[in-house]
Amino acid sequence: MRCRDVEALWDELRGECQASLKETVHVHLRACPSCQDMYEQYEGVAYCLSCLPRPEPSCDLAKKVIQHIAALKGKGHSPIVLSAVATPLGRVFVGFKHHRIAYVSLDTGEPLDEVIARAGRRLRREVVPGDAPLWLVVALEKFFSTWTIDDAIVDISALTPFEQAVLRAAARIPPGEVRSYAWVATQIGRPRAARAVGRVMARNPLPLLFPCHRVVDSSGELHNYYYGIEMKARLLEMEGYRR
Amino acid sequence: MDDYQRRLYGFALRMTGNREDAEEIVQDAFVRAYRALGKMSPEQRADLRLQPWLYTITLNVTRNRLRGKRPTNVALDALADPDAILRESNEGPPQPEAIVEQNTEIALVERALLQLPMHLRAAATLRFIEGRSHPEIAEILHQPIGTVKSHVHRAVRILRRILGPQIGRFSPEGVPMHALS
Repeated sequence: MRCRDVEALWDELRGECQASLKETVHVHLRACPSCQDMYEQYEGVAYCLSCLPRPEPSCDLAKKVIQHIAALKGKGHSPIVLSAVATPLGRVFVGFKHHRIAYVSLDTGEPLDEVIARAGRRLRREVVPGDAPLWLVVALEKFFSTWTIDDAIVDISALTPFEQAVLRAAARIPPGEVRSYAWVATQIGRPRAARAVGRVMARNPLPLLFPCHRVVDSSGELHNYYYGIEMKARLLEMEGYRR
Repeated sequence: MDDYQRRLYGFALRMTGNREDAEEIVQDAFVRAYRALGKMSPEQRADLRLQPWLYTITLNVTRNRLRGKRPTNVALDALADPDAILRESNEGPPQPEAIVEQNTEIALVERALLQLPMHLRAAATLRFIEGRSHPEIAEILHQPIGTVKSHVHRAVRILRRILGPQIGRFSPEGVPMHALS
């Protein structure tokens, strides 16, 4: 048996292989120090991998999955439709239901499947792809000329009351102006909750429409933005922000 | 579901090196499976081998996710959230999260695994960590058994190169030589 043939059989030795085959390989390994060395290393790697710990998922994972599936099953829960709409910023994915916008995501080159999955996870609703209706195209055109959105066509009911309050406060910042996280926190009567405000901004399901890009560090620095700091600066510039 | 959840989570974690990603992947995988089951005929459902099928879905979700992941994918306005900044600094190539808490040998192996190309990482994880047989892996990856064997082998070769002399140090008793005993 050639060394190459023996190498192909190493993994077989780990399972239930024929005794005669095992013996043949062993005979070769005993007689061939280089194969034996390689085999020991092979078994070593396999052993290292088999020793890796098996961390447990967090205890609420099953609950999250069940809730998500229950939301899909729920009668009367029509899915959120996700459409791609052409805008001055390029393609923007917009999720809507019953004439109200519930989700916005800029195009980052991410596959549509993944955008749909992300929206579904965030809103815990079923999300399906679909065409953009006329009212949506018109609403976005209007948004990009005024940089404000009519409250009647956005839906943030899937969010917690705190998240809703934060987003509504952010929406009161006039286009072209910026405010700090602390300002938003004060506006909602929770002056010590600036960090929590930051976390809500980080998970904003309706960026652009609820302008988390207008919320900045107390020093006025733009810092991070999901779509990159350049995008944050570009949005503010498009709105007419001057430092 | 508990058992499946644990297995799929473990698999997704080894594939991504990130607990948060792994949990979201498992959540997506179950939702996809639920939808797909609803569209199947009773015959298809009867023929379905649930476990390999769930691994396949998990792997597809993982692939999509890692493909779509940009290194700059930071939380919106991470500024007010120092944790987010911390997470950001850990972005880039996937890293096992809890390296500092774990003993060095385990962290070395975890990191080495994450350096493999995804198809080899999947093969090695399924074979040695999940303990799946070659025919099962072939079914999960939709590949011929010969391809699976060669991927497992290539993965081991690369890991051997990365880990080098650390392999022997991994176990205090040294490496068990089952077949040579």
